Amino acid sequence: MALDKQFIGREYGPYRYTLGEEKMREFTLAVGGAKPGAGTPGEPPAHVSPLLHDARAAQAGPHGGLIAFPSFAVVFAIRPFSAALADPALNINLRMVVHGEQDLEFLDVMRPGDVMTTTGRIADLYERARMGFVIVTSESRNQHGALVVKGTWSAIIRG
Amino acid sequence: MPRNYQPGDTFTHVRECDRYRPIYYAGASGDYNPIHIDPEAGTAAGLNGNILQGLCTLGWVVEAIAGFVEDPGRVRRVKARFSRPVRPEDTITFQGRVTAVQDGRLTAEVSATNQRGEDVLKGAVVEAFIG
Repeated sequence: MALDKQFIGREYGPYRYTLGEEKMREFTLAVGGAKPGAGTPGEPPAHVSPLLHDARAAQAGPHGGLIAFPSFAVVFAIRPFSAALADPALNINLRMVVHGEQDLEFLDVMRPGDVMTTTGRIADLYERARMGFVIVTSESRNQHGALVVKGTWSAIIRG
Repeated sequence: MPRNYQPGDTFTHVRECDRYRPIYYAGASGDYNPIHIDPEAGTAAGLNGNILQGLCTLGWVVEAIAGFVEDPGRVRRVKARFSRPVRPEDTITFQGRVTAVQDGRLTAEVSATNQRGEDVLKGAVVEAFIG
């Protein structure tokens, strides 16, 4: 997969996303192993922290309210990465893409109602062993302008 | 009382990728790539069926460290390379080992292996605030 290095530095975003309590809960429980049914994200398995899904318990907890599961951040922070992979200029066959590496830094907790703005850029494009590699970095800031999530996303294009 | 964490401490987390987990995760995350939710699309892409989203496996690494430090809000970083697909009905065992404790921050290496003992992640590292 030949990738044109002229696209290194190409920017995507800003993308805005408002964190909703039910969506946060749904993500937590989907990762946590719950079995969703009609109109419900399912019952939380025992290992899932109440800080992530039980508003009353979270109120008395260390953060004074519900927080998002840390990697809930992928729901909005993935946008520059997915936009880069789907960018017609790069001409990538999405069916041949697999996720190679992921690095996420969480600088603060996320709460319901937070408004996150994500921007990102293609940090690198290269070929190795006849496979293409697309590296995208992202930054997500909350409504106060504080950097909350940094991501480095790596895709492998197989052949 | 805050727990006293030391280098060399270990933790374990076991998660099963049940048959519909890639679909549940797709709904919750928005990652509807056909290779995750459609076995035929996965086969057509040469993957021998559908595979779990790597970010769901990464989420399980976050669960492992969040449980160990007893608060998901303390997780500060997660990093890994996806070395082998996780498939429906695989069981993944995560084993963490604390490598450093410094300035109120804990670093641990995490391995993730399927029921055949094959690594599904490489170089997984987590960091958490413990101050």
